[in-house]
Amino acid sequence: MNRAQNKNILIFLLASIGLIVLPHFEHIPNAVFAFFYLLLIWRLIGIWKQNWLPNKLCLFILTVCGLALLYSQYQGVLGRDAGTRLFIMALGLKLLEIKSERDLYVITYLAFIVAASQFLYEQSLLMAAYILFVCSALLATLICINSCKPNPVVAIKTAGLIIIQALPMAVVLFVLFPRVEAPKWMFFNEQYQAKTGLSDNMEPGSISDLGMSDELVFRVKFIGKLPPPRERYWRGPVLSYTDGKKWTQIKKLNFSHYMDKPVFNGTPYQYTLLMEPQDKHWVFALELPVEFTSPVSRNANYQLITSDTPDKRTEYNITSYPNYNTGFITRTEFKDATQLPNKPSDKITQLVKQLQGFDSTPENFITQLLTHFRKEDFHYTLTPPLMEENPIETFLFKTRYGFCSHYAAAFVYLMRVAHIPARVVTGYQGGEYNKIGHFLEIRQADAHAWAEVWLENKGWVRIDPTAAIAPERIEQNINIDQLIASGIINYVPLSENAQQTLDWLKQSQQLWHNLDYSWQRWVINYDNKHQAIFLSSICIDDLKAMLYWLAGLIGSITALLSWLLLYEKRKNILPEMQIYQYFCKKMLKHGLVKAKGEGAKDFGDRIIIEHPEKSIAIRKITDLFIKIHYGKYSTSDDLKALKQLIKHL
Amino acid sequence: MTQLSLKERFQLSRFFKGEKAINEPVTLNHRRIFILPTYRGLNFALLIALLLLIAFVYNNNLIYLLAFLLASLFFISILHSYKTLAGLILNVGHNNAVFAGEAAGFTVHINNPLDIERYNLQIKLEQTQSLTLKPYSKTSIILYSFTTKRGWHKAGTVTISSTYPLGLFRAWSPVQFKLKTLVYPKPANHELPFPQTPNAFVQQGFNQKGADDFSGLTEYHAGDPIKHIHWKAFARGQGLYSKNYGGNHSTEIWLDYASTPGHDTEQRLSQLCRWVIDAEQADIPFGFSIPGLKRLPAQGLNHTQKCLEALALF
Repeated sequence: MNRAQNKNILIFLLASIGLIVLPHFEHIPNAVFAFFYLLLIWRLIGIWKQNWLPNKLCLFILTVCGLALLYSQYQGVLGRDAGTRLFIMALGLKLLEIKSERDLYVITYLAFIVAASQFLYEQSLLMAAYILFVCSALLATLICINSCKPNPVVAIKTAGLIIIQALPMAVVLFVLFPRVEAPKWMFFNEQYQAKTGLSDNMEPGSISDLGMSDELVFRVKFIGKLPPPRERYWRGPVLSYTDGKKWTQIKKLNFSHYMDKPVFNGTPYQYTLLMEPQDKHWVFALELPVEFTSPVSRNANYQLITSDTPDKRTEYNITSYPNYNTGFITRTEFKDATQLPNKPSDKITQLVKQLQGFDSTPENFITQLLTHFRKEDFHYTLTPPLMEENPIETFLFKTRYGFCSHYAAAFVYLMRVAHIPARVVTGYQGGEYNKIGHFLEIRQADAHAWAEVWLENKGWVRIDPTAAIAPERIEQNINIDQLIASGIINYVPLSENAQQTLDWLKQSQQLWHNLDYSWQRWVINYDNKHQAIFLSSICIDDLKAMLYWLAGLIGSITALLSWLLLYEKRKNILPEMQIYQYFCKKMLKHGLVKAKGEGAKDFGDRIIIEHPEKSIAIRKITDLFIKIHYGKYSTSDDLKALKQLIKHL
Repeated sequence: MTQLSLKERFQLSRFFKGEKAINEPVTLNHRRIFILPTYRGLNFALLIALLLLIAFVYNNNLIYLLAFLLASLFFISILHSYKTLAGLILNVGHNNAVFAGEAAGFTVHINNPLDIERYNLQIKLEQTQSLTLKPYSKTSIILYSFTTKRGWHKAGTVTISSTYPLGLFRAWSPVQFKLKTLVYPKPANHELPFPQTPNAFVQQGFNQKGADDFSGLTEYHAGDPIKHIHWKAFARGQGLYSKNYGGNHSTEIWLDYASTPGHDTEQRLSQLCRWVIDAEQADIPFGFSIPGLKRLPAQGLNHTQKCLEALALF
C-alpha cells in the first residue's frame, strides 16, 4: 500500500499544516497567505479527485507564479520575513507533489521550520503551547506513516506520550547547553513590534481623553522590601522647556560633570526591571537610581538611558535610593528650570502674590499652592475639556478639571513665576502588585506626570500636585474607583456572588500574569549572561562542569526512561510466578498459550484435554501454584515441589 | 539462551545474517536487536541543526527549545524502536517440499507475549511482508524463498524490522533458523511417452504387452478424464487435447534412470520427475529405479513422494 496515497494520513497532514501556517496571517502578505491556502485546499480536494491535481507543467507554472508573488512582495532574499515567506511557499508547492513517503517527510520537515519561524514573531506562552500542539500533530503524522494501519487517535496519543517523555531532556538541554551569543554581523534586522509608550513631550491642553491602555510597559521584582505606593515613582523624561502649551525636553544634556555629586541615604531598593520592547531608549527606574550596569547610563536629568536596542525585551538590575539630595544647581539647570515663554499675565501674578509666592520661602509657597488646589474647586478627571488657548490660565481659573499633566504643568508654571526652579517629570507611578509572583506590573495606564522643585540644601525635590487633589491616585494606584469618579464607568452595586466571581477573576488574572512574567524572565530572556548567573548559583562555574552535568543528567534521564519504558519484563517477580511462567513457556513449546486473563485452573484443564497422559502432573502443578499464590498457608517446600514437578514435566 | 563467545560477539555478520542457526524459539532481546538511524533520521538531524542555526542567529530561545525538544525526541525514539521488537518470540513451523523453480514457503510463528502493541513489523526473507500484532497475541506467516536447484534448500536469514514510531530509526533483528526444505527436480517440459518396459524388469505375472505408456495426443472429446487433458498445450493456446495412453490402467510401467533419455544427469532426473508426476496423475502403477534405489511398482502419494525424494537427493 502506498502511504503517500492514504487518505487518513493526507487529511491529517494537511490539517496540521493548515494549523501551522494559520498564525502567520499577521506576518505575511495577504496575497502569499491566500496563495498558500489555495494550494492547500487544492491538495485537499485532490485526495478525492486524483486527476484534478496539477501535472508537471502546471506545477512548474505554479512555482513560477509563487516566486513572482514573493518577488513582488519582498525584494530581499535573506532575513526573517523573506525566509518565512520562502519556506511557506515551498511548503505549499511541495504539497501538490506528493508521490512517495519521502515527500511526506520533506513536507513534515518543512512544516517544522515554518512552525519554528513563528517564534521569530511571537514568543508568548500561548503561542508556544499552540506550536507544541501542532508539532505533536506533525509527529502523529510521522507515526501514521510508520504504522501498518494508520489510526490518527492512537497516533496523536503516542505522539503526546513521546513528547512528554522528551520534555525533561529538552529542558535539561535548554538550561545546560552552552549558549554563545551570535556575533553582531550575524544579526538580521529583527523588528519586534515596539510599542509606543510615553511621548517625549506633553501638551495637556490638547488632550480631552486620556487613553487607559492596559498594555504592559515593564515589570519589577524587588529583592527584599517593596517600596510603599507613595514612593513608586518611575522616572522617565524630564520636561523643562515650555512654550506655554507644550512641554519638551532640553536637547543638551551633557553637562553632568558640572553637577554636584548627589548624596543618598536611607535603605536602598534593589530590583530587577524587565522592560517590554519599546521604541525609545528610556529605562524607567525608581527615583533615584544609583547602581546600574552598562549599557545603561544616567543622564543629567537623573533619567536612565540604554544604549542598546530597546526593541527587545530586556532585563536590568538597578538599585535606587528613595532619599536623596542632589546638591547645588548648575547655572544651565537654573536657566532651564526658570524659563518662561513670555511675561505671565496679571491674573497669574495676582494668584502667586495671593499665595505668598514672592515674599515667603519656597516651601511655604508650595504648601500654599497645594492647599489652593485642595481647597478650591479643582477636580481630577481623565476626560478634561479641551484648552486650546492659554491652557494654564484656562485650567487655573476657568475649567479646573484635569489630570496629572494639567496639575504638573500648572504647578511648575506657577513655581517659575515665583522664580523657583521647577520642571515637569514624566514617567509611571504605582504599579499593580502580583501577589502570586511578588512583582509589580506597570502598565500604560500608570503613566504619570509630576513636578520637581529645586530647594536650597535639599536639591531637586519631587512634588506631586496630583496627590493633593486626588490622593487615591497615588496611594491606591489608578483603579476602578477612579474610573468611576471620572465618570468613565457607571457604578452599579454588585451582588455578593458577582463580587466573588470578580475576585476570582482577578486572582486568576494575577496567576496568568505571574505565569507570563516567569515565562518572559526564565524562558524568553534566558541568554548566555543569565545562563552564567543561573548556573553559577547552583555551583556550575565553567564549561567543563557544564558539559559534565549535561552528560550526567541526560544519562540519568535516559536510564530512568529506559527503565520506565522497558519495565514490562520485570513485572510479576513473585517466585511462584516466575516458576509458573517457566511452566507456561514449556507449554508454549507444545503449542499451548495461556490466554490473557485465563486462570491457572482453566489453563490446566485445557492442557489436560490436549495431553491427557500428563493429567496427574498438570493437576498437581496447578493445585500447588494456586495454594502458594492465593492460599494463606504455604511453605517453602511447596515452592520446591512446584519447581521439581515442572522440571520433570 | 546460549552465551556467545567473545569472537562471536564481534562478528560483523551478527548484524546482517544473525547468529548461528538454531531450531528453537528465539526471543528478541538486546543481543539480537540492532538499531541505526534511517536516511530520514539523518535528515531529521539536519533539520535540528538548521533550527539550532536559526535560533543562534536570531538569538531566539523558543526556537532553541523546539530544536532541543526535537533532539530529545530523536534520542528517545531509539528506546521506542527497541520496544517495537523487544520480547517477540519467533519460531518456525513445518514446510512443504517444492519443485525446483518454485517458491518454497516457510511458516514462521511470531508470538507477542508482552502488553505492547506492535504497529508495524516488517518480516523479510526474500520479499518483505508487513503485519501488526496486538498485545498477547500470535500470528503465523509464510515466507517464500525461490529455489533453483534440487536437493535441500536452506532458507537464508529471516529479518524482522520496524521503523515505528517516527521512522527516524530502524530496529532490526536477523534470525537464522535451521530452515530447510526438500526441492524436487524441475519436471521436464516436453512430453515424452512413458518408456517401454524392458524385458529385464518383466516379471512373472506382468502383462508383457501392456505398456501403460503415453502414446500420443488426440483431440479432446467430451467424456475424456480430466486427468488426461494436456493442460500445457491448452495453456499455450493450442486447444484442448487429451493424452492417450496405450494399454489400460491396470498395466504398469518401469521408470528407470538407465533408460531415461537426456544429455546429463539433471536432464534425466528432470525427465524421470515428469514421468513420476504424469504416472501419478494417470493413476498408473509404476516401478522406479535409479542407481542405489529400486522400488517395486506401486501407486499412491506415499510411493510418489518417496520417488521424488530419491530424485531430489540423488
